[in-house]
Amino acid sequence: MMTSSMIRLEHGRATLALHRLRDAEGPPLLLLHGLRGSSADWKESGDPDAWPGSVYAIDFAGHGGSGWLRGGGYHPEIFAADADLALEEIGTAYVVGAGVGAYAALLLAGARPDLVPAALLLPGRGLDGGGGHPDFFAFARGFDAELRTLTSPPEPPPSHDPLVRHAETDVRPPEYASAFAERARRLILVARDGVAPRWWTAVVESPAAEAVHGAATRSWSELATAHLLVASPARDGA
Amino acid sequence: MTPAPSYPGALAPERAWWLESLGVRLRVHEWGDPGAPPVVLCHGMFDHGRVFDVLAPLLAERFRVVAYDARGHGDSEWASAYSWPIDVISIVQLLRSLRRPAHLVGHSRGGAQATDAAARAPVDVRQLVNIDGFGPPPEGFDEFGERSTKPLPERFAEYLDWRRGASTRSTWRAYDGIEDLVDRRIRQNPRLTREWLRYFAYHGARETERGWIWKADPHLTRGFGPWQPGWIAPGWAPLRVPMLAVTGTERDTWGPLPEKLIQERLAYVPHAERARVAGAGHFVHLERPRETADVLLAWLER
Repeated sequence: MMTSSMIRLEHGRATLALHRLRDAEGPPLLLLHGLRGSSADWKESGDPDAWPGSVYAIDFAGHGGSGWLRGGGYHPEIFAADADLALEEIGTAYVVGAGVGAYAALLLAGARPDLVPAALLLPGRGLDGGGGHPDFFAFARGFDAELRTLTSPPEPPPSHDPLVRHAETDVRPPEYASAFAERARRLILVARDGVAPRWWTAVVESPAAEAVHGAATRSWSELATAHLLVASPARDGA
Repeated sequence: MTPAPSYPGALAPERAWWLESLGVRLRVHEWGDPGAPPVVLCHGMFDHGRVFDVLAPLLAERFRVVAYDARGHGDSEWASAYSWPIDVISIVQLLRSLRRPAHLVGHSRGGAQATDAAARAPVDVRQLVNIDGFGPPPEGFDEFGERSTKPLPERFAEYLDWRRGASTRSTWRAYDGIEDLVDRRIRQNPRLTREWLRYFAYHGARETERGWIWKADPHLTRGFGPWQPGWIAPGWAPLRVPMLAVTGTERDTWGPLPEKLIQERLAYVPHAERARVAGAGHFVHLERPRETADVLLAWLER
């Protein structure tokens, strides 16, 4: 049944909010939101009651009800570690990620194949990162604008830490993403319109990955129930 | 409390102040005439601004010398998490706080970050001196475990394991006495006297009820990302300011790299000159402060 309760997790020096959106017997599901979003996004874009088990949604550090990282230092690997703290709490869980949460879901699925039977990667904010290799001239040219953004807090104050922008411009090499995809058990990638980032294109080519086209407008809960629980004969021997 | 040790030629900073940088207060130390042209000094990993207590007074004869403790180091505050771009931003903020272009000097990690800062803020930097901050060799430094042959996801799982316990890892072990810190540090600085090591170990540690504890944040030890040594030199291509590339001549912990590799990397720097300090290893300014000062004084504002 649809419930909402919150669990506090201590990750390094930040306290994270892990929300239980649904409490039920069955396989748990963990939701990872996009950059500058929060766990609240999931209630607007799908129905937790459509999933047969418990549904959890974390607020990444710097977002929603979680603490901000003093002095910044945000990057997708830290978000993946946020999500890993949730796995420590929940145990084995299917994972759905949107935007930067999709990239974090990939890292988690590759590093914790024993805990993540399958992950669903959705479009969203922070999906692309800063490209497949560093563009040092662009970094140098864009520096003053970046510094102005970081040192002039917008009014009204945003619900997220402005420093999370560093988790938007980090380099995401395709071979790095592929290394994680190679060890993941199952990845379902929901293609968006337009050009996909290079890391995404590389992941789609891995044996564990299945691409779903023309589905970007469907709700996350519909996609999760339709695709995550299907056993993969090649990988799971089912 | 143990009184501060003295060392021949070492001079405590004449002034100190705080720089607010993206939510963290950084300690800044100064020597010399506040009206003189500024030189900014950036220390290396796990060091602190007071390692310049011998070099800085030698430069202060002509310059306003400004050394800072990077976040998580020395007397600066600890951050929740650390990243290279944030440190680079801090250096640029320090430069801009001086309100006139400065000469920028960095050692090791501080040299590499100073180089990135100079590439991003060319109008704030007059000249750049990089002291053995040319990054690890392609295969990585052994000391940082970079040569692990484990697949990336396995190494990331180890990082995740560490992060799961990170909230409880807030301090280093305590040492009984400052001589234990000297014993620890002498392993990476075998050519330095115990007297000199004791001097800057004292400023790099805190005497507590439990014993002596390094000031640097233990969370600095672990990070994870896709960064690779092959990105170092191409990152220098946008530099507009001239770089003096300084190394010692003695191979030890973190350098110098083979000269062929240094030259390959320097080939990306539009305006680079090369200097060597004979008899010094990686910690050039600690081992040969007088000779290092001579090299800098001959090059800065030339």
